[in-house]
Amino acid sequence: MPVVDLDLVKSLYKTPGAIRLRLDVAPRFKVGGAIVTRNINPLGHTRLPRYIRDKKGVVEHDHGVFHLPDARVIGAGDQAQHMYTVRFDAREVWGDEAPANDSLRITLWDDYMKPA
Amino acid sequence: MNSIHDMGGMHGLGPLDQADNEIVFHAPWEGRVMAMARAMMAGKHFNLDEYRYAMERIDPARYLQLSYYEKWLEGTLTMLMEKGVITQEEFDAHLDKLSDAGS
Amino acid sequence: MSSDASDGADAKTALRVRALESLLLEKGLIETEAIEELVDMFENRLGPWNGAKVVARAWTDPAFKERLLQDGTTVLGEMGFDTIQGEEMVIVENSPEIHNIVVCTLCSCFPWSVLGLPPVWYKSAPYRAEAARDPRGVLREFGTEIPADTEVCVWDSNAELRYMVLPERPAGTAGLDAEALAKLVSRDSMIGVTKVAPP
Repeated sequence: MPVVDLDLVKSLYKTPGAIRLRLDVAPRFKVGGAIVTRNINPLGHTRLPRYIRDKKGVVEHDHGVFHLPDARVIGAGDQAQHMYTVRFDAREVWGDEAPANDSLRITLWDDYMKPA
Repeated sequence: MNSIHDMGGMHGLGPLDQADNEIVFHAPWEGRVMAMARAMMAGKHFNLDEYRYAMERIDPARYLQLSYYEKWLEGTLTMLMEKGVITQEEFDAHLDKLSDAGS
Repeated sequence: MSSDASDGADAKTALRVRALESLLLEKGLIETEAIEELVDMFENRLGPWNGAKVVARAWTDPAFKERLLQDGTTVLGEMGFDTIQGEEMVIVENSPEIHNIVVCTLCSCFPWSVLGLPPVWYKSAPYRAEAARDPRGVLREFGTEIPADTEVCVWDSNAELRYMVLPERPAGTAGLDAEALAKLVSRDSMIGVTKVAPP
């Protein structure tokens, strides 16, 4: 492992968007498409919070290709896939007590969703 | 994992305390641990996702007790030991040396 | 939360941090200058003055604002702000129709490049839990009341996208230039828990 010196640190922080993967991977969902989040309960690492599992939402934006955090933690490579902003009605997430007009937006990877 | 860190929507975690509003490190050690965690990831000893998972594995009761940077220290030590970069014995030896020097 | 930890506990943690640093130095894994550069970046170079500058420019330059909302990563990169882990920057605009508020329920991800270090309350369990479920309640605690027919949208920062809120420009600022406008923009308004107060 190289020593973490001043040059290495300085080089790192001048690379905006370095986390994005420049790979040609087909998206599995379209902007405007209705989805439902998966009900997964892994023992490992995931970025799909419990409160948003098995909920219906609409894909608003496709951010492009990124690695799947769940995979990197178990040494399963990057599993490069698309990452999207998905909009949920507050009532869908929290029930009828939530204000009718409000919403929640969260980032979801292809693997976290199914078509609705 | 379905652990305490996944707290969106939870009730009962206490009142929101806006008092601590500053954007600085509260003690120099906070800045040092922040820097070391980032440096170790820069050196590819572990990645950010693994690092987050290490903190998610902290015992739930302790997780709620530890401050933000205390969690960073714990996560960093866990990662470095699990990856074989340092050992508990080596760390303890350095801690003993510093403790002796201070007393 | 141990933000009121006794001096004893804090001193013990400080010693552990020093022990780790001395061990890593001894093993030749880090150099002190690297650590000090990172500390300096967060203590001195990153702070809400960055975000305030971006907001003021967006308020006064419609073409810049459009580019900013389309591709925050590129535009903020052009402005020279350090990025921390190569994350993408997304700017979300508040308006009379929609009020955005940002949280990271799973940890405490924050747009460090433009806002610096997060305040302790942002990282706290109450905020992480409540902001997702009851943003209007949290807003009220910050003294912010949003009309019922405005959409309140919570952004949960669960991925390597960092959100900064572009707050609404307050009334009574027509004559001000970007520099004067930037002085009005608080960090909290760029997280979305408050609006920018009129001068």
